Amino acid sequence: MTEMEVWNNKRELGNLSEDERKIFDQLGLNESSRRKFLKGISATSLSVWAATYFPPEVFASAAAALPDNPIKLVNEVKVNLRINESVKSLNLDSRTTLLDALRERLALTGTKKGCDHGQCGACTVLVDGKRKLSCLTLAASCEGKEITTIEGLAENGELHAIQKAFLEHDGFQCGYCTPGQICSSVALLEEAKRGEASYVTDDLREITKDLTLSEEEIRERMSGNICRCGAYNNIVQAFKEVHSSDDEMPTWEFATPEQMENAKSS
Amino acid sequence: MKTIKASGIGKPIDRIEGRLKVTGMAKYATEFPVENKVYAQAVNSTIAKGEIVSIDTSEAEKAAGVLAVLTHKNAEKLKAFEEEMPELGTTTIAPVLQSNKVHYYGEYVGLVVAETFEQATYAAKLVKVKYKEETPDIHLDKSRAKAYKPTESSDFSRGDMDAGMAAADQTLEATYNTPIEHHHPMELHAVIASWNNGKVLAYTSQQMVDNSTIVISDTFQIPKKDVRVVAAFVGGGFGSKLNTDRHVILALMASKKLGKPVQLTVTRNQMFTNTGMRQHNEQNMRIGAKKDGTLTALSHETLSHTSTFQEYQEPCGNVSKMLYKVPNNLIKHRLIPLNFQTPCSMRAPGEATGSFALESAMDEMAWKLKMDPIDFRIKNDTQIDLSEERPFSSRLLIECLRIGAEKFGWKERKMEPRTNTNGNWLIGYGVSAASREAPYKKTSSKVIISLEEGKAIATIQMDATDIGTGSYTIIAQTASEYLGIPTEDVTVELGDSNYPVTPGSGGSWGAASYCNGARAACENAIAELKRKKNIPEGEEIALADLLKQNDLTKFEAEGTAEPSEEFEKYSVFSFGANFSEVWVDKDTGMSRIKRMVNVGSAGKILNPKTAYGQIIGGLTMGVGMALTEQTKIEPNFGNFITRSFADYHAPVNLDMANVEVIFLPEEDKIANKMGVKGIGELGITSVAASIANAIFNATGKRMRDLPITPEKLIMAKLEPGVES
Repeated sequence: MTEMEVWNNKRELGNLSEDERKIFDQLGLNESSRRKFLKGISATSLSVWAATYFPPEVFASAAAALPDNPIKLVNEVKVNLRINESVKSLNLDSRTTLLDALRERLALTGTKKGCDHGQCGACTVLVDGKRKLSCLTLAASCEGKEITTIEGLAENGELHAIQKAFLEHDGFQCGYCTPGQICSSVALLEEAKRGEASYVTDDLREITKDLTLSEEEIRERMSGNICRCGAYNNIVQAFKEVHSSDDEMPTWEFATPEQMENAKSS
Repeated sequence: MKTIKASGIGKPIDRIEGRLKVTGMAKYATEFPVENKVYAQAVNSTIAKGEIVSIDTSEAEKAAGVLAVLTHKNAEKLKAFEEEMPELGTTTIAPVLQSNKVHYYGEYVGLVVAETFEQATYAAKLVKVKYKEETPDIHLDKSRAKAYKPTESSDFSRGDMDAGMAAADQTLEATYNTPIEHHHPMELHAVIASWNNGKVLAYTSQQMVDNSTIVISDTFQIPKKDVRVVAAFVGGGFGSKLNTDRHVILALMASKKLGKPVQLTVTRNQMFTNTGMRQHNEQNMRIGAKKDGTLTALSHETLSHTSTFQEYQEPCGNVSKMLYKVPNNLIKHRLIPLNFQTPCSMRAPGEATGSFALESAMDEMAWKLKMDPIDFRIKNDTQIDLSEERPFSSRLLIECLRIGAEKFGWKERKMEPRTNTNGNWLIGYGVSAASREAPYKKTSSKVIISLEEGKAIATIQMDATDIGTGSYTIIAQTASEYLGIPTEDVTVELGDSNYPVTPGSGGSWGAASYCNGARAACENAIAELKRKKNIPEGEEIALADLLKQNDLTKFEAEGTAEPSEEFEKYSVFSFGANFSEVWVDKDTGMSRIKRMVNVGSAGKILNPKTAYGQIIGGLTMGVGMALTEQTKIEPNFGNFITRSFADYHAPVNLDMANVEVIFLPEEDKIANKMGVKGIGELGITSVAASIANAIFNATGKRMRDLPITPEKLIMAKLEPGVES
């Protein structure tokens, strides 16, 4: 039986293991939606999605796709990385960035490669709660630190408030910069609480803790994350909703019949 | 923006794939788990023209982990171009490493494959190339004598341009320049290429899946049926992923040689030289008008560049053929072959750049006539497309302008520049009109309906892509509408060449084509199920009951939609208007966009939430075009000196302002059965002109060369007649 057939059997019989159940819970999928979700994905897409949904322990073929120790590593270093509250032990080329370790060795591909130069923000993750560009961070320098990626933001199946707000306010289009935007936003909530200043802060002497950020402050502080699709306005709205429960910003409307009548070509 | 959980088209539901995107689960090209994959890194030329004299790969080959180094010396023979200067299209072959000739700085000259990304990246730097250098053609200005007319359709005329200018009370001649620009989708172009016993599987970031299989099969001369391309999620394209570029071919050559899947990610630096660009356009405009604002003549002549081996022409002048009622009209496009990569379509090719020239010139003429620029445009409105001599299927441009003016508060605008100020800020209002063709193309899809616990659920399959445009969501809404089931019970599977063929994403035809294709499959399914049971066509019956009556738990149907004969009798365009308020610091020349209003008339809006995303995305890219984006050429060596996001300035969050978008309620049933027209490119069209016009209104300076950077604004002189 292929990997896929095993899965199909399991999902139809509903006898998932505890670990597997937990993973679905983390995805926020309850019993009925779980069934629909599994039904809804084809054989190819299940294997595709499963690799990130399921860490190597529970998904054998993904483990096979990730050789623990590729041959002939130069300056091999052994690193224990604490990522999303679980420890991963890796033998790495010392030049490996945190970004490439996440994507190419741990199948945590939610963290995105957008420039490899620290200029676009797509690779933003949280290291000890602060935003960090994983493309400019060597994996070997992260031993002993707490790394949170986009895959680790939801708790017990509940999306982080920022994730929910991005979804509701359409704070993305293609979705590629989104994990970075979300990680930046999550860290920014804390930066505001700590009272950190920015380039557009009016008076550094006046700055206090628990800042309520103005729209300009939010825009400035989110300017390290490029969104080429241009979803900025929706991103600001999503952040504002979580940060200050204020999401009233102009968006779209339909012209009324009266407006149409008044504007008619004469 | 409130979330509405509802079904059917027209509702602002959240993106159905949104959860995957906010949790990092959506799979882009290099995120598919492929066993035993190895990593490649391309090597680029460091001259703009000449020949490779020698390549020393010995050091690279000895480096740890290196599996192969490909150069023109050991690369397999691929199909060659059959003619000189072939036109670049989305099915054009992409031969690479076929000779020692170098045509532009950054052309691929080699590929290193190694066990890891780090090893490949390092070893690529060890490849030593010696060149015999020639003087490249890199200056549009110095190469004017080489300008040529690419095709017969590059020119157009009606009436008599000279007579029209002679009959005018007021004339204008001005030249506008738009620089080289780069698309820079956030997802780097990338591929995991697998060549297995003559069969190809490529996970690759492409806008058009079927065309990609054509390029691969033609380039390698293998049957199309042996090529499978998967692009489930595409991290932005903006035109740069329309063509299947040479990195895909390079990775496949390497996979064929090594018998292993090869992952190749184009670097951000290589995205300047190897994945297309918008070329520099020099656009000369002439306009003649009567005192009352009636246009008598309009000409739009464009000089651009292409590569020295392939032809691409951006139709900048097309907008000037059809937007206004002008009896005497002349359009010309000329190209100069230069030693740069072949340009390609970038969001609204023709309209984005052409409308900057036309809509700036219209504003200039309105100023000369002392007329309100909105009144001037309305005066010259036409319901007939004069270039095709046929009516528009619908054209609500006047409504767009008037409704936008009211929303924006246009009547507060001061006609005289430099008269609206706030401290050090000069404040200006600008307007521009927008039009973008709304094509519609033959599209097929498949629907699989099944009965689960008494409930009907459906899956739509098609090789369409969602490049951020919302395809997944609007297709689900369409299926929901035509099957009469909730959107939640629809699954959409896209981006796989195994699925029915669509035209892919590009040219603003995606929404109309995909949704009508999905509609056709759903309608066929229902019709077939009814026919089997002799149920009258018009009778309303729930899908689940229909399946039960047929004793079926599963049913599949395919459908194809294509333009009607009626469609061919009309010119089908989306229309819009842009309004911008721009503040300019009078000492530093720094511009800030304060607010924008966009009005769009684009047929039935399938989902206002995703449509709004398309519009604000276009506006953002328009702001970049107007104020920040340009690729600069090193004047001696022909390389680009803007090589990263640090010096190519894509707009960031702080560059944008609040945007209000108004959709006109419209269904264009001539365009297609669902009344849908494109909106993906309408948003960027004429944005740059509205900003430049606002800057004139603020400062009295006409900025005709984009981007309008502070130093240019400081250096510019006041327009004659403006009081300082």
